[in-house]
Amino acid sequence: MTRLENPAVAGHTSSAAHRPARTLTGALAVMVFVHGHTAELRVSDLADLSLEQLANIEVTSVSRRAERLADAPASIYVITNEDIRRSGVTSLPEALRLAPNLEVARTSASGYAITARGFNSTTANKLLVLIDGRSVYTPLFSGVFWDAQDVMLEDVERIEVISGPGGTLWGANAMNGVINVITRQAQATQGTVVNVGGGNLESGGSFRYGGRVAADGHYRVYGKFFDRENTERANGTEVPDAWHKGQIGFRADWGGASRSFTLQGDAYTGKLDQTQPGKTTIDGMNLLGRWFQRLAGGSDIRVQTYLDHTERDVPGTFREELDIFDLEFQQALPRAASHRILWGGGYRYARDRVQNSAVLAFLPADRNLDWANLFVQDEIRISETVEFTAGIKFERNDYTGWETLPSLRLAWKPYAYQLLWTALSRAVRAPSRLDRDLFVPGNPPFVLAGGPDFRSEIANILEVGYRGQPLSAVSFSITAFYHDYDHLRSLEPAPGGTCVSLAAPGNTCVLGNLIEGTSKGVEAWGAYQVMRAWRLSGGVVFLDLDLERKPGSLDPTGPVALGNDPAYQWQLRSSHNLTDKHELDILVRSIGALPGPDVPAYTAVDVRLGWRLIRDVELSLTLQNLFDSSHPEFGAPATRSEYQRGVFLKLSWRI
Amino acid sequence: MTRVESPMTRWPRLAAVLMLHAAFLAFLSGWPRADARAAEDTETLEQRVKAAYLYKFAGYIEWPAKSFSRSDTPVTIGVMGNELLAAELIQAVTGRTVNDRVVTVKRLKAGDSLAGIHVLFIGKTESARLNQLAQSAQPRSILTVTESDGALAHGSVINFVLNDGRVRFEIALDSAEKSGLKLSSRLLAVAQEVRTGMP
Repeated sequence: MTRLENPAVAGHTSSAAHRPARTLTGALAVMVFVHGHTAELRVSDLADLSLEQLANIEVTSVSRRAERLADAPASIYVITNEDIRRSGVTSLPEALRLAPNLEVARTSASGYAITARGFNSTTANKLLVLIDGRSVYTPLFSGVFWDAQDVMLEDVERIEVISGPGGTLWGANAMNGVINVITRQAQATQGTVVNVGGGNLESGGSFRYGGRVAADGHYRVYGKFFDRENTERANGTEVPDAWHKGQIGFRADWGGASRSFTLQGDAYTGKLDQTQPGKTTIDGMNLLGRWFQRLAGGSDIRVQTYLDHTERDVPGTFREELDIFDLEFQQALPRAASHRILWGGGYRYARDRVQNSAVLAFLPADRNLDWANLFVQDEIRISETVEFTAGIKFERNDYTGWETLPSLRLAWKPYAYQLLWTALSRAVRAPSRLDRDLFVPGNPPFVLAGGPDFRSEIANILEVGYRGQPLSAVSFSITAFYHDYDHLRSLEPAPGGTCVSLAAPGNTCVLGNLIEGTSKGVEAWGAYQVMRAWRLSGGVVFLDLDLERKPGSLDPTGPVALGNDPAYQWQLRSSHNLTDKHELDILVRSIGALPGPDVPAYTAVDVRLGWRLIRDVELSLTLQNLFDSSHPEFGAPATRSEYQRGVFLKLSWRI
Repeated sequence: MTRVESPMTRWPRLAAVLMLHAAFLAFLSGWPRADARAAEDTETLEQRVKAAYLYKFAGYIEWPAKSFSRSDTPVTIGVMGNELLAAELIQAVTGRTVNDRVVTVKRLKAGDSLAGIHVLFIGKTESARLNQLAQSAQPRSILTVTESDGALAHGSVINFVLNDGRVRFEIALDSAEKSGLKLSSRLLAVAQEVRTGMP
């Protein structure tokens, strides 16, 4: 990267007659150099700058980039790199709070309960989460260990949050939503970036270096670490949940639009305090390869494979070592007549090794699982403005065999910036080890003896939505949904036994599928570009989840065990470039009360101030929970954590 | 449902924050009015920077003698597949010269003749035709500029890339040589990457 010695005279020869113009250019250049934000520059101003000055202008802005997803017949919210940077968040779960269609509840210094459209718990199992195409859900409970998932947020291109069934493309376990974290390509993250930050609740830093490799390849390597303090209970006693974690990784990309290959990997290690003696340790690493090729006939082929290794050691409770191998293939055929067909398949293999304890046991301790899937989807252009998409996925798992996931979507685009869509889908949540193999306590006699007949949970889902840009400064999206659930997990007596409580010996329970119900609700969000430098956005979700035991169920706890969700939540965000050097972001979020266990409704205000000190150095101050001395978000009153005001000062330096 | 703190004490504080913010803004930037064009400018700055670059590139290239029939032949920049950039470029070149030549902009469609063109910009939407266009451009000594990933491999000479939110460019020297173009060392120095085509 070229260093500029003297901005005012670079790259131009001139005669004496041009000197006054040069002085003006010089002044303009200094202004551009010092101020990162050049919202008001016109092309005639830019044409006066030198090549080096043009190369330093930041072209990301507070207004949203044109959405390529504007045509997708689904409820999708995109969190952009700018959204993440301007919110001042330091972790992936905190970044997910920016999506109005996600429920994000913090459960401890390291734990989060995250879901879409209901069923929130620390073992929430209706959301599929992917990082660059790698699924990060664990077959242990079909959910995500949020303390183990991290990326260098500065290099995230965007996070796509789809609420609703993932449809044909994502398969089982995408029943209520899909989160897709997409990092930037290596060619877009060249050079060196160093971030350092500290505050009253955490401190940490990250660094990234990007360079070239071979003839047409680019790569980057990164490292990040952080230290987080413990939380407190309502009565002020400390919860022993402080933790720290370090992660390194790399990504390399070769090729371009017609053929590309990507190789990426990460490795992490972390230590979490816990109530019992000892610390929980987590370790993991993964390696992923992705190949894309456009064939002569006009079709695209995509192949992806990865290896994922994770270890989790919770002294006194259990220890797990999980190895996953995944291979996927997808082909998009060129448009023929009015059809565009996408088809593909995949295979996944997991080796799960658990060390049990006296508290609980997964039996058998060691299990090898595999899944296979095949899918096909056809986008049919019925007319100029109407497109019908029909898709089906067949997925096989070791517990229940083949499952079928059909999906129908209709999209009507009467004008360029308005889309009306509707979708009908059948979604499935296949059993996990928690549903089938969990025994409590760790040794007989068992109060909970697994779920020998546990079958897949089913949902039939109807959605109707509108997305559009009715005025050039206003964009808006609204979705109404209705989910019909059946065969949801319940606690039942074992044949010949009684099941009144899991706490008292003498009971013999198993996991069954005797809960059913419906959920209905509305998700809406929008953005208003008030001025070029000021954007307001917001979102609201209403959810009515109505579950009940099926006839014949003897579940002592009932639907309350399946999740804890608020009836409403809303957020409002203001992103403002106060001056060319300063930016101010305010996020207000309000979450309704949770029914069981009771958690009061809360409203939190986060503020971030950013200063561009000199050309490539940015300082930011993030204040979280500004008006709250502390508030809880999840869990029972006696044991849950409360979250205090947070202050975080961060320095970002692009070398 | 229990509530620990009455929402009544929260709202005044919230309102105070918002009013303070609004007052701050009104003071700094005048009374906010809806800027209807603001939302359309999602990619405008990026295209403006590219247009500025395109205009400037012409000053760092040496074309063979046959490219300009007379000393007052204008430098013609053809733009294919990017209307926003074409509009910005027309504004950029108004009243300006490059090496004492007037600069003109021509909007091109697929199939249009490349005769008399000195710089050809091929937008993202035309990236499928890259190979053909580069092949036709080379014997005419046209500087091909693109904005698609990996376009240099298809024969363009300069390709725009986005890095850390900034517009940069990479150069394929071998394609330049095949086109009979000489690139100034100052241009090469600012490029993010210069490929010589050697393995």
